[in-house]
Amino acid sequence: MNTLIYTACLGLFGLLAEIFNLRKYLIPILVLGLAVIFSLNLQTWNNPQTHFNGMLSDSNFSTAFSGLALFIMLIILILSGDFYTSTDDEKHISDYMAILMFTLCGALMMFSFSNMAMLFLGIETLSISLYVMAGSRRFEVKSNEAGFKYFLMGSFASAFLLFGIALVFGVTGTFSIDGIGNYMRMHADKLDPLFIVGMLLMIFAMLFKVSAAPFHFWAPDVYEGAPSLITALMSTLVKIAAFAAFYRLLSTCFVFALGKAEIVLTVSCAATLLVGNLVALVQDNFKRLLAYSGISHAGYMLLAIISLQGRTDSALFLYSVGYAVASLAAFAIAITVFKATGTESISGFNGLAKKNPLLAASLTMAMLSLAGIPPFAGFFGKYFIFSEAFRNGWQNMVFVAIISSIIGVFYYMKVIVAMYSKPANEFEIKPTFAYQMVIAVCLIISIVLGLYPGVFTKLL
Amino acid sequence: MTETVIQTSNLFMPTILIPLLPLLGFIINGLFGKKLGHASGWIATTMLLASFACSLFLFFNLPAGGSETVVLSNWFYFKDIFIPFAFLIDPLTITMLLVVTGIGSLIHLYSIGYMHDDEGFSRFFTYLNLFVFFMLILVMGNNYLMMFIGWEGVGLCSYLLIGFWFKNQAYNDAAKKAFIMNRIGDLGFLVGMFMMLFHFKTLNYDQVAIGALNLGIGNITIVGITLALFIGAMGKSAQLPLYTWLPDAMAGPTPVSALIHAATMVTAGIYMIARSNILYSLAPHTLDVILIVGTATSIFAAIIGLLQNDIKKVLAYSTVSQLGLMFAALGMGAFESGMFHVVTHAFFKALLFLGAGSVIHALSGEQDMRRMGGLGKYIKITFATFLIGTVAISGIPPFAGFFSKDEILATAFEHNKIIWGLLSFSSMLTAFYMFRLLYLTFSTSFRGTDEVKHHIHESPIVMTLPLMILAVCSIVVGFIGLPPVLSHTHSFKTYLSSVFAQSKTIMPAGHEMSHSMEWILIGTAVGLALVSIAFAYNKYVMQKQTPVEDEQLSGLSKVVANKFYIDEIYNAVFVKPVMLLSDLFLVIIDKLIIDLLVHAVAFITSQVGRLLRLFQSGHVGFYMFAMVIGMIVLLVAQVFDVLGFFESLYTHK
Repeated sequence: MNTLIYTACLGLFGLLAEIFNLRKYLIPILVLGLAVIFSLNLQTWNNPQTHFNGMLSDSNFSTAFSGLALFIMLIILILSGDFYTSTDDEKHISDYMAILMFTLCGALMMFSFSNMAMLFLGIETLSISLYVMAGSRRFEVKSNEAGFKYFLMGSFASAFLLFGIALVFGVTGTFSIDGIGNYMRMHADKLDPLFIVGMLLMIFAMLFKVSAAPFHFWAPDVYEGAPSLITALMSTLVKIAAFAAFYRLLSTCFVFALGKAEIVLTVSCAATLLVGNLVALVQDNFKRLLAYSGISHAGYMLLAIISLQGRTDSALFLYSVGYAVASLAAFAIAITVFKATGTESISGFNGLAKKNPLLAASLTMAMLSLAGIPPFAGFFGKYFIFSEAFRNGWQNMVFVAIISSIIGVFYYMKVIVAMYSKPANEFEIKPTFAYQMVIAVCLIISIVLGLYPGVFTKLL
Repeated sequence: MTETVIQTSNLFMPTILIPLLPLLGFIINGLFGKKLGHASGWIATTMLLASFACSLFLFFNLPAGGSETVVLSNWFYFKDIFIPFAFLIDPLTITMLLVVTGIGSLIHLYSIGYMHDDEGFSRFFTYLNLFVFFMLILVMGNNYLMMFIGWEGVGLCSYLLIGFWFKNQAYNDAAKKAFIMNRIGDLGFLVGMFMMLFHFKTLNYDQVAIGALNLGIGNITIVGITLALFIGAMGKSAQLPLYTWLPDAMAGPTPVSALIHAATMVTAGIYMIARSNILYSLAPHTLDVILIVGTATSIFAAIIGLLQNDIKKVLAYSTVSQLGLMFAALGMGAFESGMFHVVTHAFFKALLFLGAGSVIHALSGEQDMRRMGGLGKYIKITFATFLIGTVAISGIPPFAGFFSKDEILATAFEHNKIIWGLLSFSSMLTAFYMFRLLYLTFSTSFRGTDEVKHHIHESPIVMTLPLMILAVCSIVVGFIGLPPVLSHTHSFKTYLSSVFAQSKTIMPAGHEMSHSMEWILIGTAVGLALVSIAFAYNKYVMQKQTPVEDEQLSGLSKVVANKFYIDEIYNAVFVKPVMLLSDLFLVIIDKLIIDLLVHAVAFITSQVGRLLRLFQSGHVGFYMFAMVIGMIVLLVAQVFDVLGFFESLYTHK
């Protein structure tokens, strides 16, 4: 809970910084602040507490995911120093930073909610901040389009979430997840149809938030149009937050009614895997490629959700970490390349290996990790999710997931092939110091986790 | 399944340092070789010298007849099978360690001079250090799997070093040939290991031996295992019929031939059988096979060696022949004698190869003996040391080769007179072709071009120093194994006795030979050698004959000079049909069926992708419509649960 309050304070500080003309020092201060909060957050480990009359509750689950979210935001902040360089950006930098802090607040709420109201509040705090950030390049049509599309569809999905909560409240008479869980335990054999419909509506809304098929349509357009850094944020922090909330929701409230959502979850999972990987095959835009790759990763993570009765939270967390570090490294490199070449197409990466072999090798590592190839964290993340699902009896789903990850290797390789075997273009590409550090840190984490996955396997 | 804990003793550090130092050298040279330049050669040599010092430490500190196991880690468990990563230090291992690191250091030193102007200087030392590392793993492991790691590792390094000058296609072909021939042997080794795992549930030398002892003499399982392992040894130690790669392996730089293809790697097969002595002594039939293969190889290679004109090829066939002799000794159950010959042979064969390298160096790369002659005047140190090596290999007392060879011949005489006759004949041939080589190279007058003659020079000190050290060793090293007529103590035999004690009880030794008989045998062997030498002297020095050019050969000599056309036969019988089959598969299976299938799958997949992409129209209205439709479909499917089709999608029990 303290984590949440301090983060909100940082957001307010961001707003005040504008008034006190502290723009120049804003990012370093925020980075420092987040680092402090990160260490404070660790204190809640093995120290579960409930706050605000049962609205929020800390647990190891929330601590772990909060730590990851803080880490991601830290990386994003470090990257944003060299990202927001135009005069227009500089004018609004304190707004942006404040909004990013509020995004983080939303995510933190989603990790530790124990009341439906807090879930909704968290999701909306997160989403509304993102609607703004997606459209933050005011003079770019694509950015505007992304922000607006995201807003329209996001609010549409929020309506379903609210409707679902309302129905569940109507049946159970409580917003508390423990209360709903108790109701369900007592009525497990004879659940009210309204309850089931309410649950399904909430699941639909969550599927929208994690960009699972057939509710994924917003993702590619928004990812492509939003500023690259915000795309990085959306495909890592936001996705992970949505999944953590989804996991928490299902594992506390609806764990005994999951049988009633089996078809929805499995069909959606299979469709997400296939659509994500198949459409990614034919993409030429790197950001769009990562968007579809993100959709397919949502499919793998859904696999952990489906088999959550076997307690897959550790696997989900390991997967999230591996996915986040690889994506952040990939985006850090991509932003550098976009900036230098002025294009977001994959052809911008042509011949990168000749001009900057280290950068090309780094992107190769990130791509291999995303494709799930050892010795990177992505491999073990996938492996644990698959083996958990297999153990819980979802052999067919694992089969689909394996097929689609084979398809997936192709488009990750496409980028690698472009870097290594296409003729180079004439641009000079060199990441700034901050970017180099971020890339190095992320890849080191990825390799270390790939070599010693035991660190996180039985964490939660 | 005993699980050994990591123990600490005063031998622990030196033991792990022995393989670690060359590995360190490999890493340093591999990463920074280009920047280090010529320093890399000195780094590699220093690492090996330090390793040699550690080996000496072990030699002096291991209690007599003792053995020590140094466990680094409990490598892996698989069901009831447990494999440790552990080193076994006993007299046999230490013998091999001293040979590998000692001679290895000298050859490293020599290479600094020999490879001085090569552009791949640091790469050469990188490979060389890696080779030594794997060779040490091979001889130090306490189980067959570690031996196999070393076995494969040295094979890889041999491949890399044969094809070291990879711009020459013929050299690459030679490297591939060596690798593939070895693979055939390795398959035998693997089969042997699997059989051991199946029957004994372990690969540790001591536990395998215990398991084998329980089965008893002549058990078919042990015969199978030993034969399979011997196939591995045939590949690595170049025995009939898998020997053809070794002569071709001379494509590598000469120090490589000396280190890998004469002194160390090719003796791995001998080491393996000596290490498995209990297994082999329980399988008398396999020993007979080894004896026959060894003897046949010895004679066959010696005959081919008679008519070779490439200085390194002669030495290569001589190596094959000597390896055959060692296998013959093993086949008679005389494991110490085999190992003894490994040691002495390592010295003088390394010396001969390095001397040949010095000659080639002096002649700016010429290897054909018909273009040499009279070099004794110009390169005196090389000549003197080479002479010592030649005398040693020919079996003239008191040089090293005499003692070890005499021991094997004496054993053969007791074992079977025919074998004795054949091996004596092979030794005679050896003496002849070695002196033929010596005379053609160093006596009479120079037959090459004036330009080459102008450049003849003695090699630098880094090259001649190893030659001199090896020459001294070739003289004295035989004294560690004096025959019974001269001394009551055979130090080498005594040193190794603990390793072979158990097999001695299984295979009772023959009765002691009378001293007079022994004198007669020694006299015969030396006499035969002297006769061959005289014959060679008469032919190549008195009559000043030179071998004819290849085109003028005819009849039997043409067949021999062409190595009995074995390569051609192998080509026709094995390579061509396999190539044909592979072409067939390429056209029918690969191109027609697999490619079509793969392309079809890829095409369909990407078409589906394209199709699905059409849904991504960019219209928010459509997106919402699709969402709602999807929601309704899923909701209906879920709530009414009518779609039995989905039952098959999830078999959740």
